[in-house]
Amino acid sequence: MTWLYLIGAGIFEMIGVSMINEWIQKRVVWPLLLIAAGFGASFFLLSLAMQTLPMGTAYAVWTGIGATGSALFGMLWYKEPANTGRLISIALILASVVGLKLIAP
Amino acid sequence: MGWINVVVAAAFEILWVIGLKHASSGWEWAGTLVAIVLSFFFLIRAGEHLPVGTSYVAFVGIGTIGTTVLDMIFFGQPFEWIKLVFIFMLIAGIAGLHTASGRAKVNEGSGGQ
Repeated sequence: MTWLYLIGAGIFEMIGVSMINEWIQKRVVWPLLLIAAGFGASFFLLSLAMQTLPMGTAYAVWTGIGATGSALFGMLWYKEPANTGRLISIALILASVVGLKLIAP
Repeated sequence: MGWINVVVAAAFEILWVIGLKHASSGWEWAGTLVAIVLSFFFLIRAGEHLPVGTSYVAFVGIGTIGTTVLDMIFFGQPFEWIKLVFIFMLIAGIAGLHTASGRAKVNEGSGGQ
């Protein structure tokens, strides 16, 4: 169940980030509401997962799914640049974040 | 312009991450809530100048550097060399992303950052 919470939290984070793109493109209210709802649901599920998993582990998996998924989704769906420099930099950042969270208590 | 917004968004993120962990009084919780709203406000503004994926990954990266460093300085987390290695990897990645996004903009012909 804990892992389902984390997967759900990661998916809601991706929705929240995607809605930033929708707001910028469309300038209507609904994406703003979905940014709040997406991140709200994501943090809520993350906090549920943290009741049974160590905080660092939960945070690392959450970042791994959510931030990596958001970056990939941006390239595939919103046609954000996918040059080698950008791919390597994003991979370096996300690997370091996951590493730091995993060694945290 | 976009990068200033990313840095400000991440600074507020660091505040609310600390707030979520350590807030005890009503005022501290109110401040945490304000920091959450402001960090997303600046994150969204950053997305107007940069690819949203770039600003979000940089936001997460800078926020993690800040919380890791402040945890060691103010909240009693031990210093470990491996943390320093990850922080340098993060800085390299963020610098790389900054360079890559600058180049992508120039290629699009819109110039500037």
